[in-house]
Amino acid sequence: MSLLTQSMRQLLRHTTQRATLSGAMRALSLSPTLQQQNKPATIDVSAIAKEHQKECQTVCERINQQVAKSEQGRLFAVVHLCGKQFKITPGDIILVEGYWPPTIGDEISLDKVLLAGARDFTLIGRPILEAGLVTVKATIIEKTLTHTKTHFKKKRRKQYMRINFQRSPNTMIRINSIELTRPLDSNAEPEVEPSKRLF
Amino acid sequence: MSNSHLFLKSGFPRAPLQNGLGRYVCQLQRITLKFCKNNGSSRGMRDFIENHLVDFAKENPGIVVYVKPRRHRTPVLVGEYLNGDREWLSCRNSTQDEISKWIDLLKTQNGSSSSMRLRKMWHTDVPSIQGPWTPFLLRSPDANNQTLPNKEASQPFDIPQTATEKLIELFKQQKLEEGKAGDEILEQKRAE
Repeated sequence: MSLLTQSMRQLLRHTTQRATLSGAMRALSLSPTLQQQNKPATIDVSAIAKEHQKECQTVCERINQQVAKSEQGRLFAVVHLCGKQFKITPGDIILVEGYWPPTIGDEISLDKVLLAGARDFTLIGRPILEAGLVTVKATIIEKTLTHTKTHFKKKRRKQYMRINFQRSPNTMIRINSIELTRPLDSNAEPEVEPSKRLF
Repeated sequence: MSNSHLFLKSGFPRAPLQNGLGRYVCQLQRITLKFCKNNGSSRGMRDFIENHLVDFAKENPGIVVYVKPRRHRTPVLVGEYLNGDREWLSCRNSTQDEISKWIDLLKTQNGSSSSMRLRKMWHTDVPSIQGPWTPFLLRSPDANNQTLPNKEASQPFDIPQTATEKLIELFKQQKLEEGKAGDEILEQKRAE
């Protein structure tokens, strides 16, 4: 317990060093064992950075190997869609509330992937993963209206009473596939410009 | 307050027959347009049949369209779905735009789902892939062997450093530096 807390404190202190590390490391949720060890009072920044780099590379390689052999199993992702976040895996059904233009039978790809993961690893975006790293494909299967909602207002002693009925559109989406399209690059610098596909 | 929702069915989102997993299949199979040839309430329906019905049928070859004239009755739309549902809509005094909108709704639905309240906006067959979270996830197994109450475990994480601790740290640092300096001196002497 105390070990953990100390390492946490040290992490907090050494945020400046962490900033020098490559972007891919921070995209991985795996924290290297190095961070959890007690460091001596004098710290060689470059050496630690190098070790981090190494650790990062090995982790990326292991993930890439797993993906190449297709041993990663079922993938899941957290996507941002129409102002809401959904945790999805292939075969899921999600519903979008309100007006949304795509119609039935449309095949779309969900680009705002906040997080993607499998049994053994998780890729975390800051706030979203790089474009083209993970493709999430989905099909629109239903566009319908909700049940009739009653909107009732009344003010006491004021002779005021209104009753409205409303039905809002709903869109049902089936997730077809989640795939890692390209191998992870441990040396990849974080994107300077935000993705243009955000809207 | 209306109590009509008390007996409303509620459920979870489902799609019939794994629709959309391989390909999408339109669930509307038949649509029947009933109208009167003379009555004013069917005017919009007649306009729709004149102007848009052929286009609609051409665009949707999977949907069978029936047109049924009947005297002195209100116009009606009836859709029949793959799962056996039948949706009936009255189109009395509606314009052709409204009718085309309602027909579009019938086409895009999976069945007459209008009377169901959804309890979730999400359905999955695989709720967890990395396993559900527990309080012991990613925790050191030391916690199993601790005897409680434990003074160290019950401390807050971020207690500020006390003056004594700071002094001890400074002292240790000083010692380290001295040690280093001593080593350097030794090395220098050896080099000489």
